[in-house]
Amino acid sequence: MALGVLALLGLKDAGGPVKADTIEEKAGVCASCHGANGVPTAKNIPIIWGQTEGYLYLQLRDFKKGARQNEVMSQIASTLEKDDMKALAAYFAQKTWPVLDQPAASDEVTRIAKTVNSSVQCTSCHLERFQGNSTVPRLAGQSHDYLVKTTAEFRNGVRGNNPGMTSLMKATPEDDLVKVSTYLAGLAGSY
Amino acid sequence: MADPRRYHLSTTMLAAAFAMALSGPGYSEEIKSATKFGDLSSVTQDLLTHASSDSSNFLHTNGDYGQSRFYPNSQINTTNVAKLRPAWIFQTEVKESLETSPIIVNGIMYVTTSFSHVYALNARTGEEIWHYAHKMGPITTFCCGPNNRGVAVADNLVYVATLDAHLVALDAHTGKTVWDKEVADPEEGYSETMAPTVAKGKVLIGTNGGEYGIRGFVKAFDAKTGNLVWTFNTVPENSVGVWAEKDLTGRDMHRDIAAEKAALAKLGDPYKTLGGGVWQNPAVDLETNRIYFVVGNPSPDLDGASRPGDNLYTDSLVSVDLDTGKYICHQQYISHDVWDLDAVSPPVITQVADKDGKPVKGILHAGKTGHLYVHDAKDCSLIRFSEAMVPQENMWALPTKEGARMLPGANGGVEWSPIATDPKQGLAYAINLHQPMTYSVESSAYPSGKLWLGGAFKVIPTEEQWGNVTAVDYNTGKIRWQVKTAQPMIGGILATAGGLVFTGEGNGLFKAYSSENGSLLWQFQAGAGVNAPPSSYSVDGQQYIVVGAGGNTQLDYKRGNAIMAFTIN
Repeated sequence: MALGVLALLGLKDAGGPVKADTIEEKAGVCASCHGANGVPTAKNIPIIWGQTEGYLYLQLRDFKKGARQNEVMSQIASTLEKDDMKALAAYFAQKTWPVLDQPAASDEVTRIAKTVNSSVQCTSCHLERFQGNSTVPRLAGQSHDYLVKTTAEFRNGVRGNNPGMTSLMKATPEDDLVKVSTYLAGLAGSY
Repeated sequence: MADPRRYHLSTTMLAAAFAMALSGPGYSEEIKSATKFGDLSSVTQDLLTHASSDSSNFLHTNGDYGQSRFYPNSQINTTNVAKLRPAWIFQTEVKESLETSPIIVNGIMYVTTSFSHVYALNARTGEEIWHYAHKMGPITTFCCGPNNRGVAVADNLVYVATLDAHLVALDAHTGKTVWDKEVADPEEGYSETMAPTVAKGKVLIGTNGGEYGIRGFVKAFDAKTGNLVWTFNTVPENSVGVWAEKDLTGRDMHRDIAAEKAALAKLGDPYKTLGGGVWQNPAVDLETNRIYFVVGNPSPDLDGASRPGDNLYTDSLVSVDLDTGKYICHQQYISHDVWDLDAVSPPVITQVADKDGKPVKGILHAGKTGHLYVHDAKDCSLIRFSEAMVPQENMWALPTKEGARMLPGANGGVEWSPIATDPKQGLAYAINLHQPMTYSVESSAYPSGKLWLGGAFKVIPTEEQWGNVTAVDYNTGKIRWQVKTAQPMIGGILATAGGLVFTGEGNGLFKAYSSENGSLLWQFQAGAGVNAPPSSYSVDGQQYIVVGAGGNTQLDYKRGNAIMAFTIN
């Protein structure tokens, strides 16, 4: 699928990247995966509509630098300049966070997730109700499968652009991370 | 931004109020004497210098330049504190962690909230005069909450440092920006949560970022123009030190000096990303023209492999010249710290007994280790350290891959919370945490301004947590009294001439204790965590106690948005 997307976007093999002119055009490229209405087209793709601005910018920066790697995103980010990244981050940050149809966690899963939080102090950065701010992402209501995937990748080192998160995920049992993901995905609202 | 319709609480009204305060039946002598230093329209250097005897205003984050947090008004005292009632409650627009120290100038109160908002309030009524909402840049990088610990005031300006690492001067009457300077680049992990300090025309500010691989500093900016005057790097280019094998209390830290020396030869001096944030205000000694501050942990917090040496001046008390920023002396508490048990609570200048019992100018600092350290102000050397205020176990067990249990946990002891003192009783009052943790280590390369812990400190969920309020005799190092609290304590404490100390808890209780013996004399349920340092002031001859009740991000205490003023009526 990844190569198909790249071909669709015209980002490879045809004489270099295709330059989109306006921020809407640039952002349109993102819609093919992250959704034209903010709902991602696959479950392991994160919501970026309404995500925090600083976080989106730093992820684009890190994809370009190679500190974070993903076949599709690394290619896309390689075509972007710093101003583009900042503009895209601002553009998506002001969109409305979409509500996915994800169930609230059970009492037992909630209990375990809260124990993890009190142990490694997630809300010390992600803030109350996991709303995030600036360079710290919102987690509440994020796509469940993406959360499972990215916490695991922090833990096993595949996602290497935040060693602090890697340390905290390694300090947490793998099973608990899945429960934390379920809990976070079920926190649908903004506060 | 500020609402222009609400700027003008008239100075005539203020003058009239003060005239009433001075002529009314209820005023105390302290109020009368306090006003002689200022002209009631601006905060002069004289007024700032004499703040320790000013029982009307609260002019510095920690009360006065010595940071005594001793308020010289006895109207509210042990005999009447039981009658303390809310005078007013102001609700800010921001429901998030509140760490502000209210500053009160001639009946006007300045408070801040998370995300660097500033409010000017009528200190009699709690009515809003103006509100400054900082236009935050897109990048903020902060550890432990989007906090702000308050403003500094001088002349007609109010200074606030912001989460996106700016220093901003506001017009005290309108809240409009007079100047705005970037202190450092937030993309590299710098942010500001501390209150500035103003002395002799300079605004002093440190930086956060010890969890992000910054190179820490204290900077002085010209108070009128905002131009940079000097920078003191808290990490010198030669940060190696003397390869100290013991901490300042004489305990072995189990360093592998040979391995560190080999790493130094291979990697070079790690000073560029060694951390060393300065979280809290310096104490200012105008007699000697020195400032004293404490420097936080090295980066990365728990992994010493990439940062061989003592990691100067992290985890240290440091003194520099106020005019030039030139180094005078330092004393390191923990060399090559791998537990984040650093130095954050603001130091206090007060007279202490030296080792021979002779009175000397001393510096007090309450550490995350749980000790109160007493230094000689002349050369920063240690005179004594107190009995441990919290359990210490398995010190100094090195962090392991699996996690090693050691007490105190990484939040302390005493966190950033300022201590209070009562010079007549020779007591220092500190609030403490007991939070058992395991320390684990995990090496990683410098991540360009991202969270860089080098491992994890993890609360052990099955173990009981609690806090305490502790009074320490700083002339002997002995604990005079101690009161246990239901939860770990964070926020701050205030002592008054009324024989009281005031401090709040994460469960919403705000309490007054006898400063002499720790007996509980009053309490109030504020509805959200009271995790901010209290202040006191007097208007119309009436003394008030004021504190923020907004909870705490770091310890996840219930959030709120209230500034609460209490008085006896």
